[in-house]
Amino acid sequence: MHDWKALVAARLEPLPLDPARAADIVDELAQHVAEHHAELVSAGMSDEDALAAALAPLDSHPMVARDIARADRPRPAAPPPPPSIRGGIAADALHDLRYAARLLARSPGFAAAAIVTLALGIGANAAIFSVVNAVLLRPLPYADPDRLVMVGEAASNGASNVGYLTYVDWRDRSRGFDDLALIRSWTTTLPTREGPERIAGMRISANYFRLLGVRPALGRDFKAEEDTPSGWRVLIITDRLWRRRFDADPNVVGRVVTMSERPFTIIGVLPASFEPLISEHFYQRADMWALVGYDATLNYACRGCQHLKAIGRVKAGVSFEEARRDIDAVQAQLRAEHPVDYGRHSMLLVPLKEELTGRVKPALRVLMAAVAVVLLIACANVANLLLARMAGRERDLALRTALGASRARLVRQLLAESALLALAGGALGVTLSAWTMPLLFRVAPPMMARLTSASVDGRVLGFSIALSAATVLVFGLLPALRASRADLGATLHGRARTGASAFGRLKRTHYTSQLLVAADVALAAVLLIGAGLMIRSVAQLVGVNPGFDASRVLTMQVALVGPKYATDEQALTTVDRLLARLREIPGVATVAAASQIPLGGNGDCSGFHIQGRPTATPAEAPCPERYGVTPDYFEVMRIPLKSGRVFTTADRADTEPVLVIGERTARTLWPNGDAVGQHVRVGDHASGPWRTVIGVVGDVRHAELAAAPTMQMYTPQSQFTDSFLTIVLRTTVAPTAVAGEARRAIWSVASDAPVYEVAALEDLVARSVSPRRFLMLLLELFGAVAALMTAVGLYGVLSYAVAERTREIGIRAALGASRLDIVRAVSIGGLAVVAAGLASGGAVAAAVTRYLEGSLYGVAPTDPTTFGATLALLFVMAAAAQSVPLLRAMRIDPAVALRQE
Amino acid sequence: MSAGRDLRKGSAELLILALLDQRDRHGYEIAKLIDARTSGAIRFHVASLYPTLYRLERRGVIAGRWVERAGARRRRFYRLTAEGRKVLDAERRSWRAFFAALNRVARIRHA
Repeated sequence: MHDWKALVAARLEPLPLDPARAADIVDELAQHVAEHHAELVSAGMSDEDALAAALAPLDSHPMVARDIARADRPRPAAPPPPPSIRGGIAADALHDLRYAARLLARSPGFAAAAIVTLALGIGANAAIFSVVNAVLLRPLPYADPDRLVMVGEAASNGASNVGYLTYVDWRDRSRGFDDLALIRSWTTTLPTREGPERIAGMRISANYFRLLGVRPALGRDFKAEEDTPSGWRVLIITDRLWRRRFDADPNVVGRVVTMSERPFTIIGVLPASFEPLISEHFYQRADMWALVGYDATLNYACRGCQHLKAIGRVKAGVSFEEARRDIDAVQAQLRAEHPVDYGRHSMLLVPLKEELTGRVKPALRVLMAAVAVVLLIACANVANLLLARMAGRERDLALRTALGASRARLVRQLLAESALLALAGGALGVTLSAWTMPLLFRVAPPMMARLTSASVDGRVLGFSIALSAATVLVFGLLPALRASRADLGATLHGRARTGASAFGRLKRTHYTSQLLVAADVALAAVLLIGAGLMIRSVAQLVGVNPGFDASRVLTMQVALVGPKYATDEQALTTVDRLLARLREIPGVATVAAASQIPLGGNGDCSGFHIQGRPTATPAEAPCPERYGVTPDYFEVMRIPLKSGRVFTTADRADTEPVLVIGERTARTLWPNGDAVGQHVRVGDHASGPWRTVIGVVGDVRHAELAAAPTMQMYTPQSQFTDSFLTIVLRTTVAPTAVAGEARRAIWSVASDAPVYEVAALEDLVARSVSPRRFLMLLLELFGAVAALMTAVGLYGVLSYAVAERTREIGIRAALGASRLDIVRAVSIGGLAVVAAGLASGGAVAAAVTRYLEGSLYGVAPTDPTTFGATLALLFVMAAAAQSVPLLRAMRIDPAVALRQE
Repeated sequence: MSAGRDLRKGSAELLILALLDQRDRHGYEIAKLIDARTSGAIRFHVASLYPTLYRLERRGVIAGRWVERAGARRRRFYRLTAEGRKVLDAERRSWRAFFAALNRVARIRHA
């Protein structure tokens, strides 16, 4: 008699089961082998042969122990679902999550793909939302900021500036405002241990800080009685300046500082939380405030002297429109009383928030839309990943249904899995956005006020979590519902996929996948077309001729203020000596000074009154940009002379007053080309010399590269002397290389003159492109991410389709279909889906790119070249993504396919 | 290449469930019956049968228990559970559909 158990046990590796069960199995197998052996012997076989034959299957299947153990233990594809009765809903949810975590850990590739995809979508959204939150959503840091408005006449760029006397009448006669304050730009020079420092400040009416609801942290606010021509030299400074220049001295109040040789008394320090947004927006980020100090006697306090800005607080319970109509009536009175001083514009109230954020809003909206699209693509892709994964797990799910799991329970477990993915994706995404934010700041245009205060804060976190939750619903529900519907009979066995009902089901899955892929392609097309349009715009813009040659020009600003430069003569002598010193620096070819330069961020237009051609009111006279320049300016900037001549050193204060104008000014005002020789008064229409137009030069782009040249004129410094000058140096070496020496040269002549904003002219030009470059970079980035996700999604779906259809392809091949037929059958579906996606993407893009219009330059929102090239690129990419699964389909061997499980 | 190796696990399961639908059987008997009734086209041996049985048992489709009878060997008998009956019905339906589909394409029956 053979010891069957020993014989069997010797042929099995130790079973990784509990010993009793293992013994049972060995027992059962031994029974089988014994009976087989007995039957063979009774059929006439020798004992030895029968023994070998009965044991042969065990000898030839070394893995049998593993097969048995795997069959006997919980199936690895599905750990036992958590008990659903015990512990209530919370415990259930915890069980579901734990179960989901175990399942995900078992397919790390899938989990990683899904999480990274979601992280990219959510991360991009969190980053951009942080920016939007900082720039647009967060309320302004002032009391009841929504009632603050800029007040002025309706002008092309918002509310106009205002003259002092006009402001006084607005303030005293209007009834719609709690208060109306006045601001103007101011820069001054603070003597410090390290030399004179130029400080950006602001001059304000005494009620300004009260209007904003800001109180000094130290000292006191301004008093109305200080706001006079003799009393205005009192200072409130920022916490920043107090710490930096006054060592945070708690006794700083009452301290007197001398600026431009005048004593100023510090009366207050603002709280550290104060954000000087208004000065930053209109002028430069201010560090100190003094009073305006005007009265009616000053000649620059006139009604038409529009260099001040009015800011008001609309009364509670009064609508903006009511306040506007009220002050419009006041303005009508003023127009009747002083017809010479006012044009015919109606009044305009611009909400302060609108004023501060209006310019960046369209760009941010576009970016929000772009990242939303990226997230949609991410969701569609993850949904597809989940669909494919569910298909592989249908048997498991059907079995669990068979074992009594309710449909709701299954849906919950699948949702738990999705939730886990979304949470992990969200966490990774937020981390990602926190890392990328500093990079964002580096490429951001300077005009995005408050951008640098953007951070991934609680709100952003909330937003991301909300997004994650929404994402779960979007992509978790689809496969969950589909899977829970999966019909039991058809799914419990793998081969059922080839059954008739399974074919239909496969088609449905496929249909959903195809829809998702088409949507992916369409969304990616929209993004890439947007990016393409921006790329073309920036390319066009970079190619724009600004009207001057920016290469190898260094610019630096210098302020000549104070009693030493009180007269024009004193200032002019200093400028001459200063330019002479600069010219001696090795590497400097020519040097000039100008009151302002194009793309320098300033603007200074003056009334242009032509002799013999008075306008209805002086306020209606054209207002060309004025550049007060020294003779070499045109040479340094390489601005071409079109007719007549430019200034020479012979144009002096005591010679004929002269003027050079830009081409556009000449063409607009003298269409017959007879501008040279005409006489013009600049500024005040009633006084001042008549200046003779001696030449016409090429136009320059002043405010930004994208804006067509405006009307321009040039006055000689010798006849129209400015205190704030921009020095331009044409160099033969890298411009910034001479900056240090240039600064020392200026100080050797004017030791108290602050030198600031030293920059290569090329950088100023580049800065002008930066808002568009910013938008372009981000759209490019999002477009690339979208395209990549789409390609991966396409590849995944097609691979899945080919795998699913292996049998069908095998049958087709067996029935005589050529490989080409098969490729056609499989790829037509894929390419048709891509084509449908591209077509709808193109249509959607054509409808939405007009929202980009404000940011485009030199390219139409429906530019056919961009559309065509982008769609073609995506098609090629899609075809490439398909090629791998297609090759796989072509290589399917019918014999293998038909046999394969 | 024997038909048994080509047979996919699923059809093997169908055969096992169908045999157990008639009455409870032990492993060796199942193997013998499949061999006999398919005239050897499908064949199970000790190394392939038991993993399949255990898998079915694990899923709750069949249930095994040891039975000792006087004068006979101690044997493990398997019976079809209520769940198994449902699964068997569903499998029969879908196999019918599958054969119908195959037949429409390849005309197996009347070729």
